[in-house]
Amino acid sequence: MSRLCVGSSHAYKVRISIKTALGNQAYVWNDNEMYLFRAAMAFALRSYHNGQEFNVSNIMVCNETPRVSFWFVVSSPENSSVLLKKGDVENAIRKSRNRINGAFLLTDQTLEFIDIPPTLAAPVMPVTPPWLIVFGVVMGAVGAGIIFLLVSSLVQSKRKKNKKTLDEDREDMRGIENGLGCDNLGGVYNTTFSDGDKFTPM
Amino acid sequence: MDKGGSRPNWDSPMQFVLACVSYAVGLGNVWRFPYLCQMHGGGGFMIPYLFMLLVEGVPLFCLELAIGQKMRLGSIGAWTAISPYLGGVGLASVMASLYLCLYYNIINGWSFWYLFHSFQSELPWAECPLNANLTGPLEECEKATATQYFFYRETLNISSSIEENGGVHTGQALCLLLAWIVTYLFIVRGVKSTGKVVYFTATFPYVVLIIYLIRGVTLHGAINGVKYMFTPKMEQLANPTTWINAATQIFFSLGLGFGSLIAFASYNEYNNNFERQAVIVSFINSGTSIFASIVTFAIYGFKATVNYENCLERVRLLLLNAFNLAEDTINMDNIFEWMERLNQTHPQQFAELDLGNCDLTQELDKAVEGPGLAFIVYSEAIKNMPLSQLWSVLYFFMLLLLGMGSMLGNITAITTPLRDFKIFSSVSVEVLNGLVCLFCMLLGLGFTTTSGNYWFTMFNDYGATFSLLFVVLIEVITVSYIYGIKRFEKDIEDMIGHRPNWYWKIMWAGISPILLIALFIFYIANYIMGGTPTYMAWNKDLVRPTFFSFYNNYCIHTFYFKLVQMGISTFTQRSWKKGEMVVPPFFHH
Repeated sequence: MSRLCVGSSHAYKVRISIKTALGNQAYVWNDNEMYLFRAAMAFALRSYHNGQEFNVSNIMVCNETPRVSFWFVVSSPENSSVLLKKGDVENAIRKSRNRINGAFLLTDQTLEFIDIPPTLAAPVMPVTPPWLIVFGVVMGAVGAGIIFLLVSSLVQSKRKKNKKTLDEDREDMRGIENGLGCDNLGGVYNTTFSDGDKFTPM
Repeated sequence: MDKGGSRPNWDSPMQFVLACVSYAVGLGNVWRFPYLCQMHGGGGFMIPYLFMLLVEGVPLFCLELAIGQKMRLGSIGAWTAISPYLGGVGLASVMASLYLCLYYNIINGWSFWYLFHSFQSELPWAECPLNANLTGPLEECEKATATQYFFYRETLNISSSIEENGGVHTGQALCLLLAWIVTYLFIVRGVKSTGKVVYFTATFPYVVLIIYLIRGVTLHGAINGVKYMFTPKMEQLANPTTWINAATQIFFSLGLGFGSLIAFASYNEYNNNFERQAVIVSFINSGTSIFASIVTFAIYGFKATVNYENCLERVRLLLLNAFNLAEDTINMDNIFEWMERLNQTHPQQFAELDLGNCDLTQELDKAVEGPGLAFIVYSEAIKNMPLSQLWSVLYFFMLLLLGMGSMLGNITAITTPLRDFKIFSSVSVEVLNGLVCLFCMLLGLGFTTTSGNYWFTMFNDYGATFSLLFVVLIEVITVSYIYGIKRFEKDIEDMIGHRPNWYWKIMWAGISPILLIALFIFYIANYIMGGTPTYMAWNKDLVRPTFFSFYNNYCIHTFYFKLVQMGISTFTQRSWKKGEMVVPPFFHH
């Protein structure tokens, strides 16, 4: 059966990197694991082509290497010498990719189907971008700070103005004791204590 | 003109020192000095750097502080007071500060952008976004790196050349708005606000730098970078470019010629000991540069080592896949043996493989300066660190404080001379500062367009470099020869109680002017021989920078020069107007 696999144009190459994925907990690749792979492929094809009963015998593997890479082809359940086209196989694999990965505890990068690009998970986009939220918080805080400073300056300058008018009033009140201003007292200017001669002549 | 009590003052000399430190220690210490260190022979660069600090940096710094403290006016008023012919020098300083204010806050906007984007479970520049089919990463991102893509496409949304213009990038505009509002908050009451803010903006970056130093030297491979930096290549000392670069770095790093130092010093007490403070601040500035470059080189070493190991891993996988060997046959220890063995056994197949060249020294040699270092290289290193969100927040917050601190000085350099004019003194401090910030912000929106980064590059490279040299040259020649070094000595004695010693006098009157003239000639020669100025553009299809010329926009450059000439020419006009010699007014205290 593997004659159909070797050199076939419908074959897919698979590359498995168990040690990269699992490190210390890596399992050894042996015939049992290969059987699981073939069963997983059969499962994927059954899910995709509803009704057609694929079996493990329809999945043929060849050219295994120590890398753990190999080629496989899929034959039709009705006629085992007819191979399925690449497109059908690809779609089936893409549909059940997660299940296949899960069976082997591997990921899209460690269980590679050469020429079948993985469908990567769509990025989760929140409704408001998170940066805008932080921006809003900072902007609000800074804005509040400015308003506070401006208002407090205004209040301070108003207080200064009031204080100034109060001081001016108090200045006017100086020299008017008992309700009489100095100018209104009447009287004669006594020159004895006037300092006309500042300097004593020597 | 001694305004005495009516002029606001710093609350303490410490505020003044911190303000100067905050102004002088800026982004250039982080992204320009490490590059120069790398280019000019690592540890050996310290020699020209420290020499220039002593010969050029400290004397000129002290000179500007002396002028500001003596005249108690902003740059325009101070120079007009020294000689009515020289008001243009002050005006040129204000123009340079204005140009800087226009474009510098864009960098703070970017810092805000990156800071806000750090609050996500996964840093957005860590991985490429997916293409429309969800089959793989975006093509533009795959050809470049994820960090470059995030900077050029998502942050700037850059166009292919300066002529192509799209609209304003709303995210950038919002961040610029926030940067200006924060700046306004810091200067709203003039010196009273600034004095309190600088306690934080001057000291917190050092906290972050120390944290990063500890984190940096404990990173895997950091020691490679630090070793690389400190291995001196003494032959670089013979290269005149090394000395010129050291001189220009000291000059621009201290922020001379903008009028900020004059403005800050004008708010000092008359008897403040600025001489000692000038020495302290200059040395703190240079010390910070050296400290920051140790951190930067630790980060470089880490990044280079990570890239090198990724490269080796890529080669290992290629070999495994091509020759179908079991996974555990090749590891990091025997990869080179295997490469040789496979080359001998399967030479043709080996040659067909595109292995590339994994070289650690080559990775370390990749020298970057400017915003590219701060926003691309550093973020690439940060994404590889564990707990990367925390490191990212710390780092961009530090960049923000460094940038804001420098902005404080430059805005003060504009508002202080404006307040000295009688027409503006009736306007309240808050309103005047608000108007200046609003004006600068509106003009700065031009830098948030899709071609804005090219305008930014133009302003950054040409806006305030050449003219500052000229301004400071005129300043030092004026003080030494026109005003007279003897009169200046007496003024200083009046202020701080003792005359400046022979070191200061020799520098002011002799060595610094000669050095500045040499730098000036070098710059002119460079301009003439350099031909049309060019800039690097981001080509979306090739996804690598290509060279374009600035010739279409040279007219902006010459327009700016006209303004500077206008400033200088005010003093020549005055000498024509007045028929007789005008004796510069003495200053009686």
